[in-house]
Amino acid sequence: MTARTTSTTRTTRLDDGVRSALGALSAAAKRGLSDPALAELVQIRASQLNHCAFCLDMHLGIARKEGAGERQLDLLAAWEEAEGVFDARERAALALTEAVTVLTEGFVPDGVYEEAARHFDVGGLAHLLALITAINSWNRLMVGRRIPPGSTQW
Amino acid sequence: MTTNESTTAAPGSFAPEEAPRLEWAKHAPEVYKAMIRLDTAAKRGLDPTLYELVKIRASQINHCALCIDMHSKDALAAGESVERIVQLSAWEESRHFYTEKELAAIELTEAVTVLTDGFVPDAVYQKAAAHFEEPELAQLIAAITVINAWNRFGVTCRMTPGHYTPGQHG
Repeated sequence: MTARTTSTTRTTRLDDGVRSALGALSAAAKRGLSDPALAELVQIRASQLNHCAFCLDMHLGIARKEGAGERQLDLLAAWEEAEGVFDARERAALALTEAVTVLTEGFVPDGVYEEAARHFDVGGLAHLLALITAINSWNRLMVGRRIPPGSTQW
Repeated sequence: MTTNESTTAAPGSFAPEEAPRLEWAKHAPEVYKAMIRLDTAAKRGLDPTLYELVKIRASQINHCALCIDMHSKDALAAGESVERIVQLSAWEESRHFYTEKELAAIELTEAVTVLTDGFVPDAVYQKAAAHFEEPELAQLIAAITVINAWNRFGVTCRMTPGHYTPGQHG
Protein backbone atom coordinates (compact mmCIF):
# COMPACT_ATOMS: atom_id res chain seq x y z
CA MET A 1 0.00 0.00 0.00
CA THR A 2 1.42 3.39 -0.98
CA ALA A 3 1.18 6.36 1.34
CA ARG A 4 -2.03 8.26 1.28
CA THR A 5 -1.87 12.00 0.70
CA THR A 6 -4.51 14.56 1.52
CA SER A 7 -3.85 17.22 -1.09
CA THR A 8 -6.55 16.42 -3.61
CA THR A 9 -10.03 17.81 -3.44
CA ARG A 10 -12.55 15.31 -4.63
CA THR A 11 -16.08 15.64 -5.80
CA THR A 12 -18.88 15.78 -3.25
CA ARG A 13 -21.45 15.33 -5.98
CA LEU A 14 -23.84 12.44 -5.84
CA ASP A 15 -26.90 12.12 -8.02
CA ASP A 16 -30.10 12.54 -6.01
CA GLY A 17 -31.58 9.43 -7.62
CA VAL A 18 -28.54 7.37 -6.61
CA ARG A 19 -28.67 8.67 -3.05
CA SER A 20 -32.38 8.02 -2.62
CA ALA A 21 -32.33 4.57 -4.27
CA LEU A 22 -29.40 3.45 -2.13
CA GLY A 23 -31.16 4.88 0.92
CA ALA A 24 -34.23 2.83 0.00
CA LEU A 25 -32.06 -0.24 -0.42
CA SER A 26 -30.52 0.18 3.04
CA ALA A 27 -33.91 0.84 4.62
CA ALA A 28 -35.53 -2.20 2.98
CA ALA A 29 -32.62 -4.39 4.03
CA LYS A 30 -32.80 -3.24 7.66
CA ARG A 31 -36.58 -3.67 7.73
CA GLY A 32 -36.30 -7.22 6.42
CA LEU A 33 -33.52 -8.15 8.80
CA SER A 34 -35.38 -6.58 11.75
CA ASP A 35 -32.39 -6.73 14.08
CA PRO A 36 -31.04 -3.17 14.44
CA ALA A 37 -28.17 -4.11 16.76
CA LEU A 38 -26.90 -6.80 14.40
CA ALA A 39 -27.37 -4.45 11.44
CA GLU A 40 -24.94 -1.98 13.01
CA LEU A 41 -22.35 -4.69 13.74
CA VAL A 42 -22.52 -5.80 10.12
CA GLN A 43 -22.24 -2.26 8.78
CA ILE A 44 -19.33 -1.41 11.08
CA ARG A 45 -17.43 -4.59 10.18
CA ALA A 46 -17.80 -4.02 6.42
CA SER A 47 -16.70 -0.39 6.88
CA GLN A 48 -13.62 -1.58 8.77
CA LEU A 49 -12.66 -3.92 5.93
CA ASN A 50 -13.25 -1.22 3.33
CA HIS A 51 -11.51 1.48 5.42
CA CYS A 52 -14.47 3.84 5.23
CA ALA A 53 -13.88 6.51 7.87
CA PHE A 54 -17.14 8.31 7.14
CA CYS A 55 -19.20 5.12 7.51
CA LEU A 56 -17.32 3.97 10.64
CA ASP A 57 -17.91 7.31 12.28
CA MET A 58 -21.61 7.24 11.40
CA HIS A 59 -22.35 3.63 12.33
CA LEU A 60 -20.30 3.56 15.53
CA GLY A 61 -22.23 6.66 16.54
CA ILE A 62 -25.57 5.03 15.77
CA ALA A 63 -24.57 1.78 17.51
CA ARG A 64 -23.59 3.61 20.71
CA LYS A 65 -26.74 5.70 20.64
CA GLU A 66 -28.81 2.54 20.31
CA GLY A 67 -27.05 1.00 23.30
CA ALA A 68 -24.62 -1.42 21.68
CA GLY A 69 -22.17 -3.00 24.12
CA GLU A 70 -18.81 -1.22 24.16
CA ARG A 71 -17.06 -4.57 24.45
CA GLN A 72 -18.62 -5.77 21.19
CA LEU A 73 -17.65 -2.58 19.42
CA ASP A 74 -14.10 -2.73 20.80
CA LEU A 75 -13.58 -6.33 19.75
CA LEU A 76 -15.45 -6.33 16.45
CA ALA A 77 -12.27 -6.13 14.34
CA ALA A 78 -11.08 -9.36 16.04
CA TRP A 79 -14.46 -11.06 16.45
CA GLU A 80 -13.18 -14.49 15.46
CA GLU A 81 -10.79 -14.46 18.43
CA ALA A 82 -13.22 -12.78 20.81
CA GLU A 83 -14.77 -15.85 22.39
CA GLY A 84 -17.84 -15.26 24.49
CA VAL A 85 -18.39 -11.76 23.09
CA PHE A 86 -20.47 -12.61 20.01
CA ASP A 87 -23.12 -15.31 19.84
CA ALA A 88 -23.34 -17.92 17.08
CA ARG A 89 -25.87 -15.92 15.05
CA GLU A 90 -23.74 -12.79 15.19
CA ARG A 91 -20.66 -14.77 14.24
CA ALA A 92 -22.46 -16.32 11.27
CA ALA A 93 -23.55 -12.86 10.11
CA LEU A 94 -20.06 -11.41 10.55
CA ALA A 95 -18.44 -14.29 8.65
CA LEU A 96 -20.90 -13.71 5.80
CA THR A 97 -20.19 -9.98 5.91
CA GLU A 98 -16.49 -10.62 5.47
CA ALA A 99 -16.93 -13.14 2.65
CA VAL A 100 -19.34 -10.91 0.72
CA THR A 101 -17.14 -7.84 1.24
CA VAL A 102 -13.88 -9.46 0.13
CA LEU A 103 -15.04 -10.97 -3.16
CA THR A 104 -11.73 -10.20 -4.82
CA GLU A 105 -10.05 -13.08 -3.03
CA GLY A 106 -12.38 -15.70 -4.39
CA PHE A 107 -16.03 -16.35 -3.66
CA VAL A 108 -18.40 -16.93 -0.75
CA PRO A 109 -17.42 -20.35 0.71
CA ASP A 110 -20.11 -23.00 1.21
CA GLY A 111 -19.27 -23.27 4.91
CA VAL A 112 -19.82 -19.56 5.49
CA TYR A 113 -23.05 -19.51 3.49
CA GLU A 114 -24.44 -22.64 5.14
CA GLU A 115 -23.68 -21.39 8.64
CA ALA A 116 -25.54 -18.15 7.85
CA ALA A 117 -28.44 -20.16 6.40
CA ARG A 118 -28.64 -22.11 9.68
CA HIS A 119 -29.24 -18.93 11.65
CA PHE A 120 -31.39 -16.93 9.22
CA ASP A 121 -34.45 -18.00 7.25
CA VAL A 122 -34.39 -17.28 3.50
CA GLY A 123 -36.02 -13.87 3.95
CA GLY A 124 -33.64 -12.89 6.70
CA LEU A 125 -30.68 -14.14 4.70
CA ALA A 126 -31.71 -12.23 1.57
CA HIS A 127 -32.05 -9.03 3.62
CA LEU A 128 -28.78 -9.62 5.46
CA LEU A 129 -27.06 -9.98 2.09
CA ALA A 130 -28.81 -6.81 0.92
CA LEU A 131 -27.56 -4.94 3.98
CA ILE A 132 -23.98 -6.12 3.43
CA THR A 133 -24.28 -5.04 -0.20
CA ALA A 134 -25.77 -1.66 0.73
CA ILE A 135 -23.03 -0.78 3.20
CA ASN A 136 -20.42 -1.92 0.69
CA SER A 137 -22.03 0.53 -1.74
CA TRP A 138 -21.94 3.42 0.73
CA ASN A 139 -18.32 2.52 1.51
CA ARG A 140 -17.44 2.83 -2.19
CA LEU A 141 -19.22 6.15 -2.62
CA MET A 142 -17.57 7.66 0.46
CA VAL A 143 -14.04 6.26 0.06
CA GLY A 144 -14.05 6.91 -3.70
CA ARG A 145 -14.89 10.58 -3.13
CA ARG A 146 -12.88 10.76 0.14
CA ILE A 147 -15.76 12.21 2.15
CA PRO A 148 -14.36 13.10 5.59
CA PRO A 149 -15.91 11.58 8.72
CA GLY A 150 -18.67 13.75 10.11
CA SER A 151 -19.07 15.68 6.86
CA THR A 152 -22.55 16.98 6.15
CA GLN A 153 -21.77 17.26 2.43
CA TRP A 154 -22.04 13.84 0.90
CA MET B 1 -27.11 -26.98 -20.99
CA THR B 2 -25.89 -23.45 -21.09
CA THR B 3 -24.79 -21.50 -24.13
CA ASN B 4 -21.28 -23.00 -24.21
CA GLU B 5 -22.04 -25.09 -27.30
CA SER B 6 -19.14 -23.72 -29.36
CA THR B 7 -16.61 -25.66 -27.31
CA THR B 8 -14.82 -28.75 -28.66
CA ALA B 9 -15.64 -30.83 -25.59
CA ALA B 10 -17.65 -33.98 -26.16
CA PRO B 11 -21.39 -33.69 -25.43
CA GLY B 12 -22.22 -34.67 -21.89
CA SER B 13 -18.66 -34.16 -20.63
CA PHE B 14 -19.28 -30.82 -18.92
CA ALA B 15 -19.33 -30.46 -15.18
CA PRO B 16 -22.91 -30.38 -13.90
CA GLU B 17 -24.62 -27.01 -13.68
CA GLU B 18 -25.56 -25.98 -10.17
CA ALA B 19 -28.77 -24.32 -9.10
CA PRO B 20 -28.53 -20.90 -7.42
CA ARG B 21 -28.22 -20.88 -3.63
CA LEU B 22 -30.79 -18.22 -2.97
CA GLU B 23 -33.42 -16.46 -5.05
CA TRP B 24 -32.78 -13.15 -3.35
CA ALA B 25 -35.05 -11.01 -5.53
CA LYS B 26 -38.01 -13.25 -4.71
CA HIS B 27 -37.34 -13.09 -0.99
CA ALA B 28 -36.49 -9.39 -0.91
CA PRO B 29 -38.63 -7.75 -3.61
CA GLU B 30 -38.28 -4.24 -2.13
CA VAL B 31 -34.52 -4.62 -2.25
CA TYR B 32 -34.68 -5.71 -5.88
CA LYS B 33 -36.83 -2.70 -6.73
CA ALA B 34 -34.32 -0.39 -5.05
CA MET B 35 -31.47 -2.04 -6.98
CA ILE B 36 -33.25 -1.41 -10.28
CA ARG B 37 -33.81 2.23 -9.31
CA LEU B 38 -30.19 2.54 -8.26
CA ASP B 39 -28.97 1.03 -11.52
CA THR B 40 -31.11 3.38 -13.61
CA ALA B 41 -29.96 6.43 -11.65
CA ALA B 42 -26.26 5.53 -11.76
CA LYS B 43 -25.95 5.05 -15.50
CA ARG B 44 -27.59 8.37 -16.39
CA GLY B 45 -25.14 10.47 -18.41
CA LEU B 46 -22.56 7.71 -18.81
CA ASP B 47 -21.30 6.50 -22.19
CA PRO B 48 -22.82 2.98 -22.56
CA THR B 49 -19.73 1.54 -24.30
CA LEU B 50 -17.52 2.69 -21.45
CA TYR B 51 -20.01 1.51 -18.85
CA GLU B 52 -20.00 -2.03 -20.26
CA LEU B 53 -16.19 -2.14 -19.97
CA VAL B 54 -16.47 -0.95 -16.36
CA LYS B 55 -19.10 -3.60 -15.59
CA ILE B 56 -17.09 -6.41 -17.17
CA ARG B 57 -13.87 -5.41 -15.38
CA ALA B 58 -15.49 -5.11 -11.94
CA SER B 59 -17.24 -8.45 -12.48
CA GLN B 60 -13.92 -10.07 -13.40
CA ILE B 61 -12.25 -8.77 -10.24
CA ASN B 62 -15.20 -9.87 -8.10
CA HIS B 63 -15.47 -13.22 -9.91
CA CYS B 64 -19.16 -12.80 -10.71
CA ALA B 65 -19.88 -15.40 -13.37
CA LEU B 66 -23.46 -14.29 -13.98
CA CYS B 67 -22.40 -10.66 -14.42
CA ILE B 68 -19.53 -11.57 -16.77
CA ASP B 69 -21.99 -13.61 -18.85
CA MET B 70 -24.51 -10.80 -18.96
CA HIS B 71 -22.21 -7.87 -19.60
CA SER B 72 -19.94 -9.56 -22.12
CA LYS B 73 -23.02 -10.51 -24.13
CA ASP B 74 -24.52 -7.04 -23.76
CA ALA B 75 -21.26 -5.46 -24.90
CA LEU B 76 -21.05 -7.76 -27.93
CA ALA B 77 -24.67 -7.09 -28.82
CA ALA B 78 -23.97 -3.36 -28.66
CA GLY B 79 -21.12 -3.74 -31.14
CA GLU B 80 -18.13 -4.05 -28.82
CA SER B 81 -15.20 -6.04 -30.26
CA VAL B 82 -14.30 -9.52 -29.02
CA GLU B 83 -10.68 -8.39 -28.74
CA ARG B 84 -11.42 -5.53 -26.36
CA ILE B 85 -13.48 -7.81 -24.13
CA VAL B 86 -10.87 -10.57 -24.16
CA GLN B 87 -8.01 -8.16 -23.43
CA LEU B 88 -9.78 -6.42 -20.58
CA SER B 89 -8.45 -8.71 -17.85
CA ALA B 90 -4.90 -7.76 -18.97
CA TRP B 91 -5.62 -4.13 -19.86
CA GLU B 92 -2.40 -2.84 -18.29
CA GLU B 93 -0.48 -4.80 -20.93
CA SER B 94 -2.87 -4.03 -23.77
CA ARG B 95 -3.46 -0.32 -23.33
CA HIS B 96 -3.53 0.34 -27.08
CA PHE B 97 -6.89 -1.42 -27.29
CA TYR B 98 -8.50 1.36 -25.24
CA THR B 99 -8.76 5.15 -25.21
CA GLU B 100 -7.03 7.12 -22.47
CA LYS B 101 -10.45 7.98 -21.10
CA GLU B 102 -11.45 4.32 -20.96
CA LEU B 103 -8.16 3.44 -19.26
CA ALA B 104 -8.73 6.12 -16.62
CA ALA B 105 -12.21 4.67 -15.98
CA ILE B 106 -10.91 1.11 -15.81
CA GLU B 107 -8.21 2.13 -13.35
CA LEU B 108 -10.75 3.91 -11.18
CA THR B 109 -12.98 0.82 -11.39
CA GLU B 110 -10.21 -1.33 -9.97
CA ALA B 111 -9.40 1.10 -7.15
CA VAL B 112 -13.03 1.54 -6.10
CA THR B 113 -13.64 -2.22 -6.34
CA VAL B 114 -10.63 -3.32 -4.27
CA LEU B 115 -11.11 -1.11 -1.23
CA THR B 116 -9.87 -3.77 1.16
CA ASP B 117 -6.26 -3.18 0.08
CA GLY B 118 -6.33 0.45 1.13
CA PHE B 119 -8.07 3.39 -0.48
CA VAL B 120 -8.51 5.11 -3.83
CA PRO B 121 -5.11 6.68 -4.66
CA ASP B 122 -4.89 10.34 -5.63
CA ALA B 123 -3.13 9.51 -8.89
CA VAL B 124 -5.98 7.24 -9.96
CA TYR B 125 -8.62 9.75 -8.93
CA GLN B 126 -6.82 12.64 -10.63
CA LYS B 127 -6.44 10.76 -13.88
CA ALA B 128 -10.16 10.05 -13.89
CA ALA B 129 -10.93 13.66 -13.01
CA ALA B 130 -8.80 14.79 -15.97
CA HIS B 131 -10.98 12.79 -18.37
CA PHE B 132 -14.42 13.07 -16.80
CA GLU B 133 -16.16 16.38 -16.22
CA GLU B 134 -18.74 16.74 -13.50
CA PRO B 135 -21.30 15.29 -13.16
CA GLU B 136 -20.01 12.39 -15.27
CA LEU B 137 -17.27 11.62 -12.71
CA ALA B 138 -19.78 11.29 -9.88
CA GLN B 139 -21.90 9.07 -12.13
CA LEU B 140 -18.88 6.91 -12.94
CA ILE B 141 -18.17 6.37 -9.23
CA ALA B 142 -21.84 5.54 -8.68
CA ALA B 143 -21.85 3.15 -11.63
CA ILE B 144 -18.77 1.31 -10.33
CA THR B 145 -20.52 1.06 -6.97
CA VAL B 146 -23.67 -0.38 -8.52
CA ILE B 147 -21.96 -3.12 -10.51
CA ASN B 148 -20.11 -4.02 -7.32
CA ALA B 149 -23.51 -4.37 -5.66
CA TRP B 150 -24.86 -6.64 -8.41
CA ASN B 151 -21.66 -8.69 -8.18
CA ARG B 152 -22.30 -9.26 -4.45
CA PHE B 153 -25.80 -10.59 -5.07
CA GLY B 154 -24.62 -12.69 -8.03
CA VAL B 155 -21.68 -14.31 -6.25
CA THR B 156 -23.30 -14.86 -2.86
CA CYS B 157 -26.45 -16.37 -4.32
CA ARG B 158 -24.31 -18.27 -6.84
CA MET B 159 -26.54 -17.15 -9.69
CA THR B 160 -26.09 -19.48 -12.66
CA PRO B 161 -24.33 -18.01 -15.71
CA GLY B 162 -24.94 -19.02 -19.29
CA HIS B 163 -28.62 -18.35 -19.78
CA TYR B 164 -28.61 -14.63 -20.40
CA THR B 165 -29.88 -13.24 -23.69
CA PRO B 166 -28.95 -9.62 -24.46
CA GLY B 167 -31.80 -7.22 -23.91
CA GLN B 168 -33.86 -9.54 -21.74
CA HIS B 169 -33.89 -7.00 -18.91
CA GLY B 170 -35.01 -4.26 -21.27
